[in-house]
Amino acid sequence: MRKVTWALSLLIVLSLLLAACGAPPTQPPPEAAPETQAEEATPETEEAADTTDAAAEEAAPEAEPTAIVAEAGTGDIQLVYWNGLTGSDGGTMVEMVEAFTEENPDISVRVEMMQWSTYFDKLLTSLVSGNPPDLFLLHEFEIPQFASQGVLQDTSDYYTSNGGPIPDEDILPHVMKALEYKGGRYGVPLDLHGWGLWYNKDLFEAAGLDPEACPTNGEEFLDYARKLTLDANGNDATSPDFDPENVVQWGTQVSWFKPTVLSTMWQYGADWTDGEGNATMNSEQAMAAVQFWYDLIYTDHVAPQPAGFDGWQSFAGGQLAMTPEGSWMLNFNDENEINWGVCPLPQFGDQPATWTSSHVIYTPTSLEGEKLDAAQRLIGYLTSQGLVWATSGQPPARVSQLEAMTLEEFPSAKVLGDSFMEFGRYDTANECIQEIIDIGYMPELDSIFNGIKTVEEGLNDANARIQDILDRCQ
Amino acid sequence: MRSVNRNQVSTWSSRILLQIALIFLAVIVGFPLYWMLVVSITPPAEVFSWPLHFWPPHPSLENYIEVFTRQDLQLPRWFLNSLVVSVGATIATLFLSSLTAYGFARLEFPGRDTLFIILLFAIMVPGQVTLIPVFLLVRKLGWLDSYNALIWPVAANVFGVFLLRQFFMGVPKDLEEAAVIDGAGRFRIYWQIILPLSKAALIALGIFVFLATWNDLFWPLIVLNRLEMRTLTVGLTVLQGTYTQERGLVMAGAVVASAPVLLLYAIFQRRIVQGVMLTGMGGR
Amino acid sequence: MDNEMIMNAGRRDGPTPPRKQVGSWRTWRWTLGNYLFILPFMILFSIFVIGPILYAFYMSLHEWKVLARQHPFVGLENYRQLLKDDIWWIALRNSLYFAFLTSAVNTVFALFVAIGVSRPILGRDFYRFIFYAPVVLSVSAMGIIMSWMMNTQFGVINYFLIWFGLPPVKWLADTYLVVPSLSIATVWWGFGFPMLLYIAGLQGIPEHLYEAARIDGANSWRITWHITLPLMRPTIFFVAITQLIAHFQVFGQPLIMTNGGPGRASFTTIMYLYQTAWRFFRMGYGTTIAVGLAFVILFFTLLQFRLFGRQSVVEY
Repeated sequence: MRKVTWALSLLIVLSLLLAACGAPPTQPPPEAAPETQAEEATPETEEAADTTDAAAEEAAPEAEPTAIVAEAGTGDIQLVYWNGLTGSDGGTMVEMVEAFTEENPDISVRVEMMQWSTYFDKLLTSLVSGNPPDLFLLHEFEIPQFASQGVLQDTSDYYTSNGGPIPDEDILPHVMKALEYKGGRYGVPLDLHGWGLWYNKDLFEAAGLDPEACPTNGEEFLDYARKLTLDANGNDATSPDFDPENVVQWGTQVSWFKPTVLSTMWQYGADWTDGEGNATMNSEQAMAAVQFWYDLIYTDHVAPQPAGFDGWQSFAGGQLAMTPEGSWMLNFNDENEINWGVCPLPQFGDQPATWTSSHVIYTPTSLEGEKLDAAQRLIGYLTSQGLVWATSGQPPARVSQLEAMTLEEFPSAKVLGDSFMEFGRYDTANECIQEIIDIGYMPELDSIFNGIKTVEEGLNDANARIQDILDRCQ
Repeated sequence: MRSVNRNQVSTWSSRILLQIALIFLAVIVGFPLYWMLVVSITPPAEVFSWPLHFWPPHPSLENYIEVFTRQDLQLPRWFLNSLVVSVGATIATLFLSSLTAYGFARLEFPGRDTLFIILLFAIMVPGQVTLIPVFLLVRKLGWLDSYNALIWPVAANVFGVFLLRQFFMGVPKDLEEAAVIDGAGRFRIYWQIILPLSKAALIALGIFVFLATWNDLFWPLIVLNRLEMRTLTVGLTVLQGTYTQERGLVMAGAVVASAPVLLLYAIFQRRIVQGVMLTGMGGR
Repeated sequence: MDNEMIMNAGRRDGPTPPRKQVGSWRTWRWTLGNYLFILPFMILFSIFVIGPILYAFYMSLHEWKVLARQHPFVGLENYRQLLKDDIWWIALRNSLYFAFLTSAVNTVFALFVAIGVSRPILGRDFYRFIFYAPVVLSVSAMGIIMSWMMNTQFGVINYFLIWFGLPPVKWLADTYLVVPSLSIATVWWGFGFPMLLYIAGLQGIPEHLYEAARIDGANSWRITWHITLPLMRPTIFFVAITQLIAHFQVFGQPLIMTNGGPGRASFTTIMYLYQTAWRFFRMGYGTTIAVGLAFVILFFTLLQFRLFGRQSVVEY
């Protein structure tokens, strides 16, 4: 029995200890907040997971670490700000917040950076339990999904037209429009990022192409891709001896399906919906757009079958010459010392278009009083620092900032930012957008590009699924 | 005599065969682990080099140095958190589930079998759907950012009850009967006869629970907010935000997170053997 | 320690109650004392497991958007939806395929390895260590390592295959190979734990049984077959059941290694559940998927009980 007594008392002591350690949080810890300049991660990591090759597409390079939690300032008004930036953009964000708290000593900000997928889960539970952060970062396409549940604050009065600090006339009209939902305006845009064409200048030169000139349309693109695809014997895809079974250098790849296919479909005048509750994923134009990429893989043999192909590693290793990829690829390319070039996405169809998105800062419905005022000031400050933010590759959302960028200082953000301003386009808004992407079309595109379904079968299936979802979501 | 000889020869050859098979298997099982170590000591510039190097041309500890020196990684504190939580959950689980398993294996009470079926059915329901209710509950109890949130939900572990019940039912009853004659009560039989006889199973379960708690990611992530309350596994996810580029760093993090558990297993695996040999479970 | 002991409840008589007439105060006290053994656990279990499960079932009867304030009652509508949802059936088929493959291999393979490393051979502790070592990895570390191993283009396995003059294999990139590949990765990662349970079980087999058999001239195969395996039945039974239950709920491996692709070839039920509940906010339908899955698992578990013990299936 002595043993029993001993074990029980141990248990009791342990639980007391635990209870003591587990006291509710009071003051945030003073440590942690290294001003590290940092890594880069694609802010799109979460979306990129949609492609088959997780390792390839979730790629997100880092150089120097970003703090996980950073405490900025010592002011009495404490704000908590969550985001999913785990790359160098996270480090840039912390610097911007620190600069803000220096100018505003009455406010302190606790910035928490989380990996995207976990951030989403954590945000959701915090919203469910009624204990959300004071500010959080999401994308514009999530607005209908969240706002329809009443968890986003209508931020119309943050803008100068309603007496707030944010100048609405400086924000691109189509960006502003993307923030509107059922008469409200949700959040303030931080940037305007999107899809372009990155290429390896060394491989261009080796193929006898001008490293400063890009393909501008589908025909040229195919022509370039054929010259840039090499088999093990050194024959390019234009050669009659070309061996498509034994390719060592690919001209291009489909990359992340969503932006590549959406951009191409828009260029062909198609989209997944007509905006009136009908799915249009199997329209003639949509088929032509998908067929274009399908042919690059299976007819022209200038792009690999996507499953099992690691696009980021291949691009870093000089085995991939051109890739459609996001504006966030900059740091990865720099860190891997790739002699990169970037252009706007070529016009494959009959009108220019490229997929874009925005990081948007939101506040929860419950925010009020001095915290609301402090959050407004912080958001006003952060979104006015678009040029600082652009150092991590993402073009800013404001016209004045976009125009202030120079090619010398922002070689990729300038080129891409101009194209986004001119013909960038957002995902078509829908409350069930996430379901339409994940269930509706992505797995079907995956089946098509991996040769499991024909273009027609795949798009018909996708269309039926999207219609199902739309019928439920109207 | 000839048959004995043949038997000896076959024993000999089967031993050699077994030895070869095990070596082969050990190489296959060990290689990915070896690869993990190799990647963790490969400097970032060489991580993408092709063809593969089975030993990095310029091995370096820079990934480990980064893991240990990064200011925002509070390794000692996180390690302590992981240890407290895992040990706490293991002790709580071992105690509660062995007590319960004894009840289900040996004692009679109305509704026993129905209750056990309910327990079994519970492990068939995926945890993802009970997460939000449990989260709201834990929040109501004021357990967010506390060790309690990570220990007690884990201790409600049906798997352990099921496992131990199976083992307890195999314990020969003559020993207990002797104890009953000596006037031992139920708790004493459980404590002095059943538990010592089931050491091997208890240690196996203990290792399992410890490991599951140590490696759990989703639940701690949701219930912990404060940086200094994170467990090692959760804290190190910041290294895993990215795959391709920082492979070495991610692997160094994985090695650092797994090494303590591996060490613990190395210590306890011998006790699994000893524990049983000491009890001498002959006569089953 | 034979199968009857597992299945046959009637014989599990431990300490006996005082022999008085039924219903007396002393008998009642004794029974109450029995309840005390399970009470602490049952309290935790009710709070953290059964309560939330019942709540989840309640949610499945509603159109339950996670963040919404109102959740309209829809009765069994979600279940009707589930039956005609082809993605649910595809995911279920994939999960079933994966679960049977993995648990069958794990149950049998781990047993033979355990028997092997229970023999007095050179380096026994080392083998036990190395075979268990992958178990300590977290699912994300394991997923990352195995996707490097199995990558079509840069994978280590294909590197070796080419080196041996064999054609490379599209492990995770092929519709038909992807589930077996995930299964191989999972066996590599997890067979150490059932091995450990088997080792624990093997320790309990009395040495004199082996000796008797050896004196009778039985070789090691016959000993394994006629003595070891029958005596290990309770452990094998336990491993088979828990492996199947666990692998039915596979989530992390496909999420990290394939994200359900190519197409939907490795999309599993829990992935669908997770997406539906956590990404699409449709908690009502998500819990319906969970309840559906629980019943499928229950069905197969009962089937296993029947296979392993013909008598007294009613027991559990």
